[in-house]
Amino acid sequence: MSPSYLVKRLALIVYTLLVVSLVVFAITQVLPADAATMLLGENATADALAAIREKLGLDQPVWLQYGRWLGAVLQGDFGTSLRTGQPVAPALLEALSRSLLLAVLAIGLMLMLALPLGIVAALRRGKLADLVVSILSYVGVSLPEFVTATLVVLVLADWLKLLPATGYVPLTENLWDGLAHLALPVLTVSVILIAHVSRMVRSELVDVLHTDYVRAARLKGLSNRAVLFRHALRNALLPTITIVALDVGYLLGGIIVVEEIFALPGLGRQLIVAIQARDLPSIQAGALIMAATYSIVNFAADLAYAWIDKRIQYE
Amino acid sequence: MNVLQVQGYSLDYATRSGFVRALDSIDLAIARGEVLGLVGESGSGKTSLAWAIMRHLPPLAREAGSISLAGKSLITANAAEIGTIRGRRIGMVFQDPSTSLNPTLALGQQLAEVLVRHRGLSRRQAWAEGEAMLARVGLKQPAAMMHRYPHEASGGEKQRVVIATAFACQPECILFDEPTTALDVVTARQILDLFTELQAETSVASLYISHDLALVSRVADRVAVVHRGRLVEQGAVDTVFGAPREEYTRRLLAAVPRPHHRLVTGNPPAEAPPLVEVDRLNVRYAGSTPLQQANRDISLSVRAGEILGIVGESGSGKSTLARALTGLNRFEGMLRFSNRRIGGLRDMDRAYRRDVQIVFQHPDSSLNPRQRVREILSRPITLYGGETRIEGLLEQVRLPVSFADRFPHQLSGGEKQRVAIARAFASRPRLVICDEITSALDVSVQAAVVELLVDLQRHHGTAYLFITHDINLVRQLAHRIAVMYRGELVEVISIDDLAATGPRHPYTRLLMDAVPPPREYAS
Amino acid sequence: MSDLLRRLLRTPQGALGLAIVGLIVLVALLGPWLAPYGPDTMAPRLRYRPPDAAFLLGTDQYGRDILSRLLVGARATVFLACVATALGTMAGALIGTTSAFLGGRADEAIMRTIDAIMSIPSLLFALLIVNLLGKSSFSAVMAIGIAFTPGMARVTRSVALAVRKQDYVNAAVARGETGGYIVLREMLPNVVAPIVVEMTIRIAFAVMLFATLSFLGLGAQPPSSEWGLMVAEARRFMHLSPWMILWPSLAIALVAIGFNLLGDGLRDALNPRT
Repeated sequence: MSPSYLVKRLALIVYTLLVVSLVVFAITQVLPADAATMLLGENATADALAAIREKLGLDQPVWLQYGRWLGAVLQGDFGTSLRTGQPVAPALLEALSRSLLLAVLAIGLMLMLALPLGIVAALRRGKLADLVVSILSYVGVSLPEFVTATLVVLVLADWLKLLPATGYVPLTENLWDGLAHLALPVLTVSVILIAHVSRMVRSELVDVLHTDYVRAARLKGLSNRAVLFRHALRNALLPTITIVALDVGYLLGGIIVVEEIFALPGLGRQLIVAIQARDLPSIQAGALIMAATYSIVNFAADLAYAWIDKRIQYE
Repeated sequence: MNVLQVQGYSLDYATRSGFVRALDSIDLAIARGEVLGLVGESGSGKTSLAWAIMRHLPPLAREAGSISLAGKSLITANAAEIGTIRGRRIGMVFQDPSTSLNPTLALGQQLAEVLVRHRGLSRRQAWAEGEAMLARVGLKQPAAMMHRYPHEASGGEKQRVVIATAFACQPECILFDEPTTALDVVTARQILDLFTELQAETSVASLYISHDLALVSRVADRVAVVHRGRLVEQGAVDTVFGAPREEYTRRLLAAVPRPHHRLVTGNPPAEAPPLVEVDRLNVRYAGSTPLQQANRDISLSVRAGEILGIVGESGSGKSTLARALTGLNRFEGMLRFSNRRIGGLRDMDRAYRRDVQIVFQHPDSSLNPRQRVREILSRPITLYGGETRIEGLLEQVRLPVSFADRFPHQLSGGEKQRVAIARAFASRPRLVICDEITSALDVSVQAAVVELLVDLQRHHGTAYLFITHDINLVRQLAHRIAVMYRGELVEVISIDDLAATGPRHPYTRLLMDAVPPPREYAS
Repeated sequence: MSDLLRRLLRTPQGALGLAIVGLIVLVALLGPWLAPYGPDTMAPRLRYRPPDAAFLLGTDQYGRDILSRLLVGARATVFLACVATALGTMAGALIGTTSAFLGGRADEAIMRTIDAIMSIPSLLFALLIVNLLGKSSFSAVMAIGIAFTPGMARVTRSVALAVRKQDYVNAAVARGETGGYIVLREMLPNVVAPIVVEMTIRIAFAVMLFATLSFLGLGAQPPSSEWGLMVAEARRFMHLSPWMILWPSLAIALVAIGFNLLGDGLRDALNPRT
């Protein structure tokens, strides 16, 4: 991998963030109502509105507002929230840490379940185990998060009373209680991931098991174990890295819904609040954080892939 | 006692529409030190026999008869026993080294694992032994090669590793499944020599599977001919090839290109003006250095009614030239057709298109899978006129008229190529470019297609630019031969001169030596 | 067409998917006529009833018949999802084909920008646009359509590029066919099939997204009986009647499963080589 490739990728990430900020800005600018109306309510007088607008800098020309925002961001200042008046960055970063915890736990759970499920389905292709996994994954992929959340809360919280339904307890305060409160959200958001990834793993492994080199390995008289682990799984699980990285985008969307349903103070919830309040700096920062997370994760996945599979050479 | 004995063996595969017989009552045997060649075309079942011997069959396959190794039946052996036989007592060399090696493991690992498994060596011992094996098979830097990955080695180097792996455990018998088919001609020759050497040295009983009769005739002691699952003829090589008893064997032998067996007689009139003139043609791909150019300063000419054969290995640039002449590649340099200057795509107007047609190598991708034959053939008619009946076009290429309503996937490879040829001849072109059109076909199908081409040429007086890697075929077919190597034209020579004085350029000599024509027997 | 149906019915996914989607389309078309009660007919004394002879699926918090609401809401959920997907596919196909056709720098620039937009999660994108356009079913449809466009552009472009490389396209170029003929008669029939498969699977996603937006209060508005909205309203009364939440959830899942299966079935059926 050459340094020029790294530079090129990083430049692309910067370009991505720029485009995202422009798109978000463009969308929010066309709004009939703006932050001022949100703050003061529908019945505010025109004078009060004008005063607030001037104070918040909303009366400036659009391109100037964007330019100033961009300039500030390049210096590390993400502005102050139009809703709370507090600096945007610290609040969002704290919210991000909670969302990241949720995301990491979800991915962890997904890997623990999806990989074995996909592998078993591939090895027992055409048999009952495969059919069961197949059906489960069709169903899993077809349940929106709010349906899963509702069902999960209904069964595990209301009927069986195993876990708390909503609420958030920081892990630093009480580890077990905190985890208990995270259990249902993590479960909810990972269902779709597990279904999708197990399906991909199954299909990759089935393809790999039919390759010439796995056949050659078998015919060399290697043990079933050696064929499976040393030859087949290595090559089948490699593309999983890419798939999981692409699914992170979907995961981020799912987190928005889940945080809303389970009242978790994460990035998703902050974004919804910000959108409803037309709090542009917060929206911008939130969207950028999500886009940056997605880009960085995919970049890391590409690097990991190239490091493991020596055929890939990035120039 | 024979090392490998197959008696009355039959094999049926289970398909959606019932059982399909792949092998029918096969009887053959290989003794120690012997090479048995197994020849047949695609679909003959020769590879199925290899899988049957290695016990690599789908679960629903039905078998009858016996296969035994040194007297012990393989069919009744259980999984554990098979595990100890494979690799240790029977080895296998596969066809395509770029797919039969695991791309994410080092070559040394794939060699050493066999030694660890079957000879009980430790990893370090296995690695050292592996290195020695690589040296034995002629690899220049064995230590370094052990650490390389498949994509870092050439086709020939990889195949040597595969051969080393097969020989590493000193098996009693080795199956060779078309080991040189995926390699270029010069490398194939080297691998063949390596095989002969190792086989003689170790006296391993060898089953050499191939579709290439010329090759088998030079390598095997005895040969068995397979056709649609049945053993048609079997015996010593000289007997079977020199005095074939069966009709099919005779037909197969006749289809093999023999350079001295000319298909095209006579020469186009020497004073005729050239139809195509190419002067210092260059094709460059974006970002390539002058040394990497696909075509460098190509100059040649083709007369009306002449067959110019272009021979070269893959990467020699011959297809690039073909594509430049049809406007699929941009080129620099001069091209004249019928005395008209053609500078590029813009100059290739309807008249040019009518006169210059091309047939591609892969019949699967050169016919639109969603169009019926009728629609495919009606295009040139609509564009150029000429032969106005679809039926007429199909008759010309000896296909039944009913094929007009079929889709490409309902035709065989040879039939698809005929449709492609019919499409090309619809406009009665003056030049037809044949870009490796028979390389993907079986030898007998190839012979039939070549015969068709010769016929059409006699009928219409078309000139051909016949591109191929098979020098024996081109010596049968062409009036003149152009040889390409790494983008350059190294020699252009007429058939008569070639026969009289031999090739002038050493590369041509190398190509000719690599694929000697089948042994001639007094008939 | 009958040939396609036959091929579709050969695989279990195709057959099952076709059956489910067929049923759903029927319900969406005839819903209002099939419903035994009006979707807004309230019966305050018959609230929270479990399924019985009078109300096959039970009643909700206002005594409205759940079955009738589902049948009428099918239109909202399914049709609008299809419309949104169709919009996204058309816009995306246009961009993708153009990009493939232009090639070179232009293609790369367009694709990099598409990639950048795709780094925004679809739901977030849709949320932003819905807030822009105001809360309604129409804006949800537009939002989803716009959110799908980059993904479909990517798919279309890669399919178009793969088809462009095939020798039958080269043969057409070598014959001197016009650009129009090549695109319409040689390329398009081979490009359409993978796009249709992708589109069918996307409809499942659109249904889920639409329901999610309604659930969040940003799509269909009360008293609409859009299924996502039904789930949202039913959450508060979960302990009074689980049926209110169960039926619309199952309906959403069934629709999504149906389109997923159909998409997989179409993939096999539309493959000309099998």
